[in-house]
Amino acid sequence: MITLRGKLKKDNDVSNSKSRDTNKRVSIRDKLLVREVQEMEQTLPSTCQIVFDDPNRLHEFTLVIVPDEGYWVGGRFHFGIYVTEDYNMAPPQVKCQTKLWHPNINEDGDVCLSLLRQSSIDGLGWAPTRKLKDVVWGVNSLFTDLLNFDDPLNREAAELFLVDKESFRHKVKEYVTQYAKR
Amino acid sequence: MAESVQDNVERGDGDNVKTENFFTLKKWNAVAMWSWDVECDTCAICRVQVMDACLRCQAESKKDFYGKQDCVVVWGECNHSFHYCCMSLWVKQNNRCPLCQQEWSIQRMGK
Repeated sequence: MITLRGKLKKDNDVSNSKSRDTNKRVSIRDKLLVREVQEMEQTLPSTCQIVFDDPNRLHEFTLVIVPDEGYWVGGRFHFGIYVTEDYNMAPPQVKCQTKLWHPNINEDGDVCLSLLRQSSIDGLGWAPTRKLKDVVWGVNSLFTDLLNFDDPLNREAAELFLVDKESFRHKVKEYVTQYAKR
Repeated sequence: MAESVQDNVERGDGDNVKTENFFTLKKWNAVAMWSWDVECDTCAICRVQVMDACLRCQAESKKDFYGKQDCVVVWGECNHSFHYCCMSLWVKQNNRCPLCQQEWSIQRMGK
């Protein structure tokens, strides 16, 4: 992490000395991320793993979740996380890249998690006081505590669960074997 | 009260008063501490001390030639404090305190 910090600093220095006008804005996002990425990695749940494709791009990484309990145990799920330039006024974008059968994640990979909602009237949506580690914990909990059948994104999955838990379990397993085998 | 004064006077009659003084205070140093009277002294939005300029202002001042910063603190009715710059960005999309979710209204502003 020291090297990343150094890199950011060097980049700033270089662009500052080049010209004051062309480098219109030092990215607030990047400044926040230097600290938040470090914190996220230090508080990572045991079921999670973070992969940076490009260590110079702290705003784009993959979160790999390997649940150790619940319906999706045995699977390995990849989530692409992209932190937009207007972070932390806007939440990171999270997309599930592994096909799965889940009431709160549809088959296109859209994730339904209150924390990731840009505007909400309750206190559960995004707020600039939240951090990357909260996002990781939130997504990770979709496989356990935050699993929610009452407000589903994949309605079919939730309905199947209500009608027949055993076939729900079976279908989840089927998807895991087909798409998310470790 | 009157009785105790009487006692002192009675005792004070003799010379033995001075011998009862075990300690004499010759010199003392007072030490005081202070801190800002705010509930939260780090801006929860940009994570910089509220008494310093916010992350944005700090970043932009690097390019500014005249160093004067004018990044003030704002306190809500809920007693939470933030940089005015940070909070004004947030209330544009959600007029609530991001810490307690109360409707945001400004109690006071300043340094």
